[in-house]
Amino acid sequence: MNGNPSSRDSDATDPDWVDDFLFTGKPADVCLRLPDPVDRGTLHRLVTAAQTRLDAAGLRPGGAVALRLPPSLAYVVNLLATWRSGAQAILLDHRLTDHEVDRALRRLTPQVVVAPVRTGGGALRVFVEVTEGVTRYGDRPAPTDHAVIQLSSGSTGPAKVIGRNAADLVAEVRRYTQLDGVALPGERLILLPSMVHVLGLVGGLLYGLHAGVELVPPERLSGGAVLDAIGAADSPATVLGVPFHIGLLAATQSDRPLPMFTRMITGGELVSATTVRSFTERFGVPLGNMYGMTEVGVIGTDLHGQHRPGILPVPGIDVREVAGELWVSCPDSPYLGHTDPSRWSEGWLHTRDAGTVDPDSGLVTIHGRLDSQVSVGGMKVDLTEVEKTVAELPGVAAAVVVWDDGITAYVQPVGTLAEETLDQQLAERLASYKRPRTLRLLDQLPRTTTGKLVRSVETLRTAGTS
Amino acid sequence: MAGQPDLARVDLVAMLAQLTDRPTEQPERIGSMELAWLVHLVEQRYDRRLDFTDDQLAGIRTIDDALVVFQTALAVANG
Repeated sequence: MNGNPSSRDSDATDPDWVDDFLFTGKPADVCLRLPDPVDRGTLHRLVTAAQTRLDAAGLRPGGAVALRLPPSLAYVVNLLATWRSGAQAILLDHRLTDHEVDRALRRLTPQVVVAPVRTGGGALRVFVEVTEGVTRYGDRPAPTDHAVIQLSSGSTGPAKVIGRNAADLVAEVRRYTQLDGVALPGERLILLPSMVHVLGLVGGLLYGLHAGVELVPPERLSGGAVLDAIGAADSPATVLGVPFHIGLLAATQSDRPLPMFTRMITGGELVSATTVRSFTERFGVPLGNMYGMTEVGVIGTDLHGQHRPGILPVPGIDVREVAGELWVSCPDSPYLGHTDPSRWSEGWLHTRDAGTVDPDSGLVTIHGRLDSQVSVGGMKVDLTEVEKTVAELPGVAAAVVVWDDGITAYVQPVGTLAEETLDQQLAERLASYKRPRTLRLLDQLPRTTTGKLVRSVETLRTAGTS
Repeated sequence: MAGQPDLARVDLVAMLAQLTDRPTEQPERIGSMELAWLVHLVEQRYDRRLDFTDDQLAGIRTIDDALVVFQTALAVANG
């Protein structure tokens, strides 16, 4: 145990779980610093007022609310208000295009959509100033009793729809409280990952609220702003981020002493030994590592950076290796609609991560993906979704999308197709982090003798430069 | 500006190479992460904060777009 307060049991399927599990602590306790402090009493009042707005827009218990908001106080307030209304929250990354959002809304039929009417605060903000608008969308109840619905880039083209119920979220927060190396009550969490995705949502927002850890998003996304956030108070500070953020911090030149800087923890892809060395030499604090998935949340950790690249499964999670693939215990299928048995079966999530489990130490080592999913700044992107989108564009005869130090698309046009046109069409259909960094237009894509498209990066690179 | 030559495309390419550990060719398009990295290094190089609007940064799709926006911001900061 790490010294976190023990929490009383809550009926996690009841809307009361928000008050019983997340709004523990005193009303004057600060839970967010934006940088002005927001205490629990204030947050509670804002949430209650938001419930009234959601109700007026047509939300009923058992309905769903789509939150299309960037990380912001408005997002936190409307998320908690949705849950306190006994409703389901559909989390839509604010970078998704109208095309992607429309498709999700038609499929998930929320009663209400919450989206920004106005945003402010300048560029590169980690937490955005948002004035939100609440709009009625439909009148159907949510098809499932999940508390949260998240979309994950899908291998069949459209996004996978993943649901988690309140009891599952509570159980994950409890797993965090049993870890040695997370921020403790009264300490601060400098939060860089988006609260719309699992690491920032559960490891940041929900854990912070439950455990009494202050959540501090830096004023903006820069190394200097992160250091400023760390140094803004004397209480111990843990930085939560993805590997990209390590580089931002390591590249800072400030020599200001930061004795309160306790640790940095990153999720997402593995970190190179060089990056680890440059970070630890620069700051002299541990660089921890976490492994998790949207479907189940945190799976394993190495918060002291002692087992790199290995991680130990967190309490309550079992990991096993089946024919080179890591399977993770997950009692119920997390997928809405039909569950592909190659993704989940009989209480096990098939991660599609290649990996090994050491039979003696239990350490899990991840070797890479077994499918076409890649990580872009901690965001999972399935290249199949990108390829399908490119191939379906007007004027495109065929397309192959591969990872070549970045998402790279090779496109065979039907006739004349300007790169600019292609760019513009993609910008309407794909969120920015999913779009190809490199586009190559070829008269003919390389094909095998039987006419199949060649996917070899080497062959495509040669074809693209010849 | 004090002790630093004008910002050139080659500087941005070199900064991106630091991020990707790929010394040579950089993709022409840049994403929000690369952009945050460039802002960080350009500010550090010129030792000043550059305040961009969301719209300015949202309009940046390529290294050349970024160069124009940075050069404008630096000129304003110097003015």
